[in-house]
Amino acid sequence: MTRADKILLAALLLFTLLSAGALYGRFLHVPDHAKPRQAVVTVQGKMARRIELAPGTKSSFVVDGRVGPSAVEVDGTRVRMVEAPCAAGTCIKQGWIAHPGQTVVCIPGEIMIRIEGAAPLDAVTR
Amino acid sequence: MREQETRRLVYLSMLVAMGTALHVVEGILMIPLPIPGVKLGLANMVTLLALHLYGFRDGLTVALLRVTLASLVAGMFLSPGFLLAMSGAVGSTLVMALLLRHTSCFSMIGISMAGAVGHNAGQLLAASLVLQSGAVVYYLPVLLLSGIPTGFLTGYLLNELLEHRSGIFRDFHTASPVSRRS
Repeated sequence: MTRADKILLAALLLFTLLSAGALYGRFLHVPDHAKPRQAVVTVQGKMARRIELAPGTKSSFVVDGRVGPSAVEVDGTRVRMVEAPCAAGTCIKQGWIAHPGQTVVCIPGEIMIRIEGAAPLDAVTR
Repeated sequence: MREQETRRLVYLSMLVAMGTALHVVEGILMIPLPIPGVKLGLANMVTLLALHLYGFRDGLTVALLRVTLASLVAGMFLSPGFLLAMSGAVGSTLVMALLLRHTSCFSMIGISMAGAVGHNAGQLLAASLVLQSGAVVYYLPVLLLSGIPTGFLTGYLLNELLEHRSGIFRDFHTASPVSRRS
């Protein structure tokens, strides 16, 4: 093994590390939970409210649906319906939602709460 | 003169046969790693030997014939795997021939490692054409990380073989005036 071989070996290893860092580096720092998420409340298809879901915040508000006012509670990054004017209260039973794409739906009031944000991928197939 | 030519033809044929055998055996012996595409590259030794003894044209011929014959034996002729093997063989042959002709500071180890990298580059180029996607470049570090040690290993083996000049290799050497420190 000559000196040039050793230099080549070192250069190739360095190149491998650099290329690995350049190609894979951006996959390492994607803190999924740190991405900003928003809850969007729509009434009869129109957007009524948009709430930032930041950890540690608490709030509640009232949405006027088709059959009366409904109360929504926000606790950090999760949202739920706490009061509804209907008898069934299905939306209340749906409980907390926190992940992008999840929804709480109130059929009689035509209210929908939906979490927006980049959905994490389950898998990628090729 | 004529005898020389016949001798060359016979040795090249033997190199093709050796390369084919190594290629096929290597395809049967699976390396116990869950990574596709990682191979020892033993057949590349034969390409390098042919390049070393007879130069670029004969080396490339040996490499192309070896890949074609081995794919016929394995029943993979014209399959995607065959295209990858072919482009890899061409890539490594080009890189190794360049280094053999234009440098004198590398031993077979360095040339073999560079050839392994050329093999990976050729393979990825073909894979990106077959898959119509540049995303295969993400496989490059994996291939490099496996190619460098296997290139080192095959280069080391070839170095030893050439140094000892025993058996058939002694004949190879008398058959060719080309010499290179190993």
